[in-house]
Amino acid sequence: MNAFSGFGPAIAAGRSGHGAVSMALASGRVQLVNIRQESLTLARWRVLWIALGFAFVALLALVRIAYLGASDHGARGTSLEEALLPPRGEIADRNGVPLARAFPAYALWFNPTALGEDGTPLVSEPEEVAARLKAIFPDLDEKRVAAQFAAGKQGYIRRRVLPEEANRVQEIGELALEMPMENDRHYPQGSMAAHVLGYVAADGKGRVGMEQVLDKHLSDPNTRGTPVSLSIDSRVQGALEDELRRGMKLVQAQGGAGIVLDVDTGEVLALASLPEFDPNKIDARGQKLMFNRVTNQVYELGSTFKPLSVAAAIDAGVVRNLGRRWDASPVKVGRFSIKDSHSMGADLNVVEALIHSSNTVTARVADELGPERMRRTMIDLGMNERPYIELPAKGFPIWPGEKWPRLRSMTVGYGHGIAVTPLHLASAYAAMVNGGIWRPATLKKLGPGEAPKGRRVFKASTSSRMRQLLRAIAVYGTGKNADAPGYRVGGKTGSAEKPGGSAGYRKTALVSTFAAAFPMDRPRYVVIAMLDEPRGTLASSYQRTAAWNAAPIVGRLVPRIGPLIGVRPDDTRDVDITDLKPLIPEANK
Amino acid sequence: MNVTMQPYVPGKRQPAHMPKGKLSRWSELKIWWREIDRVLLLLVLLLMSLGTIAVAAASPATANRLSTASITLDPLYFFYRHLAWQVLALGTLFGVSMLARDNARRFGLLLAAGMTVLLFLVPVLGAEINGARRWINLGMQFQPSEFLKPGFAIATAWILSWRMRDPNMPVAGVATAYVALIAALMMMQPDFGGTILFAGVWFVAMVLSGIDMKRMGAVIGATIAGLTATYFLYDNARHRIDSFIGGGTAYDQVDLGARTLTAGGWTGAGYGLGIRKMSLPEAHTDYIFSVIGEEFGLIACAIIVLLYLAIVGRVLMRLLDEDDLFALLAGAGLIAMLGGQAFINILVNLQLFPSKGMTLPLVSYGGSSTIAICLNIGLLLAITRRNPFLKSRTMGLGDRLGFGQMAPMKDHTGPARREIHP
Repeated sequence: MNAFSGFGPAIAAGRSGHGAVSMALASGRVQLVNIRQESLTLARWRVLWIALGFAFVALLALVRIAYLGASDHGARGTSLEEALLPPRGEIADRNGVPLARAFPAYALWFNPTALGEDGTPLVSEPEEVAARLKAIFPDLDEKRVAAQFAAGKQGYIRRRVLPEEANRVQEIGELALEMPMENDRHYPQGSMAAHVLGYVAADGKGRVGMEQVLDKHLSDPNTRGTPVSLSIDSRVQGALEDELRRGMKLVQAQGGAGIVLDVDTGEVLALASLPEFDPNKIDARGQKLMFNRVTNQVYELGSTFKPLSVAAAIDAGVVRNLGRRWDASPVKVGRFSIKDSHSMGADLNVVEALIHSSNTVTARVADELGPERMRRTMIDLGMNERPYIELPAKGFPIWPGEKWPRLRSMTVGYGHGIAVTPLHLASAYAAMVNGGIWRPATLKKLGPGEAPKGRRVFKASTSSRMRQLLRAIAVYGTGKNADAPGYRVGGKTGSAEKPGGSAGYRKTALVSTFAAAFPMDRPRYVVIAMLDEPRGTLASSYQRTAAWNAAPIVGRLVPRIGPLIGVRPDDTRDVDITDLKPLIPEANK
Repeated sequence: MNVTMQPYVPGKRQPAHMPKGKLSRWSELKIWWREIDRVLLLLVLLLMSLGTIAVAAASPATANRLSTASITLDPLYFFYRHLAWQVLALGTLFGVSMLARDNARRFGLLLAAGMTVLLFLVPVLGAEINGARRWINLGMQFQPSEFLKPGFAIATAWILSWRMRDPNMPVAGVATAYVALIAALMMMQPDFGGTILFAGVWFVAMVLSGIDMKRMGAVIGATIAGLTATYFLYDNARHRIDSFIGGGTAYDQVDLGARTLTAGGWTGAGYGLGIRKMSLPEAHTDYIFSVIGEEFGLIACAIIVLLYLAIVGRVLMRLLDEDDLFALLAGAGLIAMLGGQAFINILVNLQLFPSKGMTLPLVSYGGSSTIAICLNIGLLLAITRRNPFLKSRTMGLGDRLGFGQMAPMKDHTGPARREIHP
């Protein structure tokens, strides 16, 4: 039997059981066969469409996979090694004391569907649950939370819950109150060094301080395993903040700024701006206090500039003989007149002028130096640009520009007509006492030999002379209150009236600064303490000037930090100022 | 030649030679091995093995999530259960694939009838899980809709192939009425994803059975209108679409899935080393593709996609040479069911499609639905069974495109011309 004989319409043999073969049936079958052929051909073509459709969807999926893999979001894989790393790198001080660390914490989240899609999200009444939460978190906005419960809106109730609070929330017994683990940033020293550290915002990115600067480094899996060491010494930082806060409260100042700087490397050992904020708890008040007075606010720092002008004058050979007497009568330049705060005699030598902080003599010295050389020195000290430090918030100085008139060099000589940050001043003082080398300030811990080369601003001989002069001011002049016994402190006060008011300056609103270095026989650290708008109180003998409020802060601070950072009190050592003593009447009394 | 041979009836091949007596088991098995699509079987088994590894990877996440204070599930609890289900499912697969095409059709129709009845009973007898009433308990818990899927594809193909017998039958109307009934029953559960799948299979069958372009345009328009109406009338779908478009919250399943998917990069974190998977709510079922992404990498994900494409492509390319309209429609419907479900699941995991609550067939942990999916494959194998010695008489599309089964005409002689239909 031929297997193929059954196919094909040509054979129209009738089935024996059906009797006669009619032509109608045959034509019907032919028609059916045609339909079958047409349908099959059509169906086959359309199978191809379906296949193309599936191929398109698969291509879509593959392109999406490639896109996900190529986007930086996807490229970062999870590895076990990475899982053992902290979610964000730690920040430590120069001795390894943790300043910022990552740790897993709880948040409180309201999940209205925890009990299923339908029905009420809570077992108890919303008001009751809110009241019980209020008992655990006294600062909770009970009404808002109750409204959230009633509306069934999912969301955070609190971003941070302590383990013991979490236990108490569990005891409420509401499944809708979930406590997901979240990575949190903890600042174990509280608000200490808040302006240096900054904080981590809800988006996981650092803000304000080193958290922002080091953001990449702290989140990169390759680098976040080892803590970043800052140049900060937490003991010095703590002492600085403590003394600054105390000094600020005694005279009811609006704010304070302080810095301790290593003169040989530019490392910042402590940097404080008061009032501070708490990076553990960022609220509206904290947001307002994030402004950094040390690096961002520019002030006319007044008389603290006088030693810089004198140093520039000695360096340029304008002051060759310290015994030369300078006219101390008011200086008249055009309509402008420069006077002293009180009469100091008809004439003074430069040493006396610094000890008593004479505007007139400094103005005359600056005048003799001339605008160009004064401007050059200020540029060399970095006063014409933002301060050199890693922090993102850096204030631009109010810089007098290119061509200085004669009067400008005179006012800059005693710290007016130029406004810089306290950090500018600290770096300049470091250059003045360390042998004449200016170096950028840094918040990163530098290893041995890593200190930047810096640039020479003053001759070494000028620097030695300035050590003597600064020490003399602390011993005989306005800096007496800073002269901590045995620590050989030298420094200069500055009390500048703040700009504003009808007369251009406000007589009662001062910025009191004390810029110091110690020990003067071999200077190691520069200390700046600054108070914004101090008042005359009993503690400051009803004085507003730096000698009575800023200098005592340094006087109390140095004995606290000296022994920690390698400076022991020693009465047998000091910078030799015997050659200056004949020029100082107070020394011969 | 015997002149009293039976007349040709379109759509049906008569065996030319029927061996006397019953075939032995062994020769039946040999015939089976010769006739089934071995490439398809190999691809399916490969995918199932990959799925077993993936379930082993995902099992700890779900076991951990479902463990309570009193009962701690073994981390590989779902893996062991999956193995047991797979053994049952493979038995089903091989058993069903042994059926002859006619018997496979009869079985499929019975399955469709039985499961349609059960689907009616779901609102009455069903147990509610996760806000949807889909499960029924007949000694064993299962979803009738899962088992209806292969039956539905065969029933639709059968209805549409009536036209081969009588061109005047309103086959399209009957098929549409059937899918409308199923869709209504599915939406009552509610199961929006399942409805889309059934409608998709119906659409594929209608397209293949020769619906003209104008009508097809009307169907697509009606689908868009229907989806829009669903969005506004149907809470479950609206929530899911809203959360898909709105991006959802940090706790949204889709978002968690996407984060897990990319957490392994190109090459993956390694087996058992995934971390993100632990926070996934449906790691072993709906989001197993993401778990594969985290532990075995995006390259493994791409391989899975290509495997599905290979399975779908293999079946469809073979259908190009099919002479029987029913087999063509049924094969296309069954593979559309499987491929549709797979690609919808993958697109959900890739955040290209709103969350559907659909498993990845052959890969996910499925429980009883593993059996349903293997039933689907088994029926597919049975319906695409083809005598390797039997060549198509007419030139198929595959031959014109250059990959057909048709041998050159000159080979039409010789002893290999015997046709065996057990």
